[in-house]
Amino acid sequence: MDNQQQTGGKIKVGFKQGMAMLFPYAKSRLIEQVKSVALIIIYLIFFQTMVLGIAVAQAAMIAAGLALVIGGLAFFMEGLMLGLMPLGEVIGLKLPQKSKLPVILGFSFILGMGATFAEPAISVLKAAGSSVRPWDAPLLFLLLNKFSGYLVMSVGVGVGIAVVFGMIRFMYNISLKPFIYILLSFLLLFTLWSFFNANMRNVTGLAWDCGAVTTGPVTVPLVLALGIGICRVVGAAGSGSSGFGVVTLASLFPIISVLLLGASLSGTVPQPMSEAAFFSAANRDKAQALFTSREEMIGFAFQNAKRESQLALFDGSSEKMIAYLESLKSSEKERAAVFGPKRDALEKWAATKGTRTQAMAVFPSAEAAREAAQKYAAMLEDPVQPADLILRNTKAAAQAIIPLSIFFLLVLTLILRERLPRADEVFLGLGFAVFGMMLFSIGIEIGLSKLGNQVGGKVPSSFKAIELPEQRSTINKFDPDIVKTAITADGETQTFFYVREKTGYRQLPYHEDQYSPETSQYNYTPTRGPLFGAEGGLTGILVVLVFAFILGYGATLAEPALNALGLTVEELTVGAFKKSLLMQAVALGVGVGIAVGVAKIIWNIPLLWLMGPPYILLLIITKISTEEFVNIGWDSAGVTTGPITVPLVLAMGLGIGGQVGVVEGFGILSMASVCPILSVLCVGLMVTRKRKAALQEASETAEPKEVAA
Amino acid sequence: MNGKQVSRVIAAVARGAADPVLKSLREAGISTGHLAAGRSVALEDKKGFLGLGERSVIVEDPIEIFSFLVSPELEDTALDIIIRTGRLDILGRGSVHSETVHLIKSHALCAENSGAAAPDKELPLLTELMGICCIVQRGQGDAVARMALDTGTCVPAITFGTGTGVRDKLGLLRITIPADKEVISLAASVHDADAVMDLMIDAGKLDEPGKGFIYQYPLKQGIVNTKISRGMPKHAASIEQIISTIDQIKGNTQWRSRSGMASTNGGARRKYLTNLIDLTLICNEGRADDLVKSAMAAGAAGATISILKHVRPQDSGAAKVSPARESCNMIVGEQQIPAILAELDKVGAFDDKTHGLLYGKPAPKACTYLGK
Repeated sequence: MDNQQQTGGKIKVGFKQGMAMLFPYAKSRLIEQVKSVALIIIYLIFFQTMVLGIAVAQAAMIAAGLALVIGGLAFFMEGLMLGLMPLGEVIGLKLPQKSKLPVILGFSFILGMGATFAEPAISVLKAAGSSVRPWDAPLLFLLLNKFSGYLVMSVGVGVGIAVVFGMIRFMYNISLKPFIYILLSFLLLFTLWSFFNANMRNVTGLAWDCGAVTTGPVTVPLVLALGIGICRVVGAAGSGSSGFGVVTLASLFPIISVLLLGASLSGTVPQPMSEAAFFSAANRDKAQALFTSREEMIGFAFQNAKRESQLALFDGSSEKMIAYLESLKSSEKERAAVFGPKRDALEKWAATKGTRTQAMAVFPSAEAAREAAQKYAAMLEDPVQPADLILRNTKAAAQAIIPLSIFFLLVLTLILRERLPRADEVFLGLGFAVFGMMLFSIGIEIGLSKLGNQVGGKVPSSFKAIELPEQRSTINKFDPDIVKTAITADGETQTFFYVREKTGYRQLPYHEDQYSPETSQYNYTPTRGPLFGAEGGLTGILVVLVFAFILGYGATLAEPALNALGLTVEELTVGAFKKSLLMQAVALGVGVGIAVGVAKIIWNIPLLWLMGPPYILLLIITKISTEEFVNIGWDSAGVTTGPITVPLVLAMGLGIGGQVGVVEGFGILSMASVCPILSVLCVGLMVTRKRKAALQEASETAEPKEVAA
Repeated sequence: MNGKQVSRVIAAVARGAADPVLKSLREAGISTGHLAAGRSVALEDKKGFLGLGERSVIVEDPIEIFSFLVSPELEDTALDIIIRTGRLDILGRGSVHSETVHLIKSHALCAENSGAAAPDKELPLLTELMGICCIVQRGQGDAVARMALDTGTCVPAITFGTGTGVRDKLGLLRITIPADKEVISLAASVHDADAVMDLMIDAGKLDEPGKGFIYQYPLKQGIVNTKISRGMPKHAASIEQIISTIDQIKGNTQWRSRSGMASTNGGARRKYLTNLIDLTLICNEGRADDLVKSAMAAGAAGATISILKHVRPQDSGAAKVSPARESCNMIVGEQQIPAILAELDKVGAFDDKTHGLLYGKPAPKACTYLGK
């Protein structure tokens, strides 16, 4: 062979040559991500414009956001492959060889805790619980707000314990099945018990979703790689294609820890009650215990409660309330305590949500109030500030990746005293991961999530009439005298008026509360739907369920953690279990799960009814499945709910929940966790049966020859 | 080539089927070896949409590949245990074969297994076999492997590897070149090997730049898995069973050698490399990168690194060897070996941290892109 090549040393590559190498590399990575997100993006746009017939608002910004998502995912995935996963694997390889069990378990616990703090899913859960009212679900409200720190802590402890048990499993080669049986039976019983406790019933949804959400796109690959590394050096003689299972435990333990936290706090909170009772003087102390301060409670009441409830806080005296509002104008500190740190929060609230008298207390004149009302009506959302957006997401990305990486590097150099192989590649990978995560977080925020919100909010229009607030318009100098009355066949009367538009005349319904006599303005919010069938009809709801299915399916295919899991499975089975097969199975499962979750919200089905049967079925299927597929199937459940799926699903869940008026949007994510386990295990059963059949065919049809003496 | 002549026994069975075989081997004193994960491919007839158009698609199964170095007198014993415990006499259960390799140098804990041989037994083994090994870019494996199926040669085994070579001299720009490889190994009759190799070269375009490398190496004896398709036979025995049985009666596959099966595409004009050595270095995990670098400094052109697991009894001295191992395959000229060995020795390839094991076997014919 030709060996005259230069040996040792580096080959110098010119700029042009370098670019010629970089270009196809970058192109292939980008195309991969375009393929993974194409379905969900095209589908969302198609559904909004074609099915719902509403133009995409802020299209340019959304397009830019989607481009960022694609670029970001490309960088992030490459970062996972070059940096995070090799780092996890090298620790996994060295740890069992060089340290004792207590060190390994201590490391595992810190890793689990650290991963939770690094990728706080609490913001996701807060979003899911944003419409929770303290009088409806006091304990849930307490956990999501005042005690959200405890909530994160308990999830962290849960994940920590999970990683510890995961490592013990690897070290002693214990099957995952008994863990599943014990944990799941306990969880189901606990959930059943919670079902009969008014406060705990609302917390179960949160607890199950905590389990689904905790395992993020950084934790999963890191823990997987760690497990694979460990399994290469410990365990039985088998070629050791395991390394899975930690994600499963990290999904189950936090449910227990959150339920335990809820149970331990449930004695200290009042029972669910009516809004009026909640704000009554008799319950004041108990109610206020749900908030950090009196100011926070007042602020919450101003933002979310009825006028009578607000007055109740001021002993029923309107004067006291007005005086309080006026005092807020001058005291910045107190204003921040009530309305939050944003400087214009008080004005915005007064202009958009406050009553007429409240607005007059905040603004110097009626004229100022009208101007403010117009100003804030025009911007329903806060404008995007690029600097803030980049800074915030860079911080979050750095927080998710850098501390854990430093922890790993310290363990490697200080405790294991090993050199990091291919250090330059790993550091480049970590940089890619941070940069990619920042890009795709920004992209999700300004692109995907916006698009999801638009579609999600409008989807209920297929089965009921919904308002379109972004098409709201104001008629200045409105004259109530032009309002006409119409009558239905049943004799019910409705009011309406005509407006002159460019092309003709149009009737609009008249709602008295939209008219402001001081400013003589009439605010008109157009409505839309039901597009399919009658109000609340089954056809429309079916459309929503199909939408939910495809949304879940498409979003899952784009999920980075699942891609990493799929690649790992393919790598470990040397291509015998293809990534695409796993992803399809998981995506189908998630689609079904999300459709079921949406059905839960529309018909307000108790979570227990939905979680019980599938999990009991799962116990049976788990029993008859092979260890390999039990590990992969249960792990894929944990990775399905990531940065792409969650915002889209939540947007839709909350959109629908808001339109049909349910307490909270929890439960969809946990449904999206249980169904993929079922689908992957079913695929597993099929594949195993086929393989067994092939082997059996070999042993049964051939006549066994006498080989042995 | 200097070094001790030993036998290397290598078998591929369905995943999960290796454990009992390894246990029996251990009981017979053949206890240290290596295990790798791989996949096997087979053809399955699939009906097209609405039952229209039938085509055969490739289906993949996970397999385990284990290999042991044994002293020549122990070779038959090892083969016998593997065939008996793994039921490899039944077509479709897997394959096993042995080859003669030169153990150039090894750490004491990794030397060949030796011991008392069991009494001679009649084994249903084929001879006149030639191994073909082909290294291609990840993702291209099935296309090349399909040739082995389509020609009815045997069920190939595919493993994953990572290529090193020029790539590692590029600094960080190396990440732009995919290093992931697939390694396809199969056993053909010596009479067909050239034709099969040519067809594989055509299928993988292996004589074009950057496509891959293919070489032959002699096998001594073995059982070839010729169950190339899946599905129930329509007759009392499948045609594959009949072929396999005649193979065993004849002791070789010359009776079905097909001279007409030749490359359609310039096989005659093709230039081959001849008389090379397939040099394998097995070491503890994490050491392969450095060792290959040293070997390359001593003249090797590059290596394919793959992951192995060390098989040993937990209570023996061999448990000091890292369970996670790496194997580096290099194709070199015979005259380069002393220099490579000296260099590897210098960087501690055979010390207690690395537990190295270096052996070579002849690769009489090879092909890759040779420049214009």
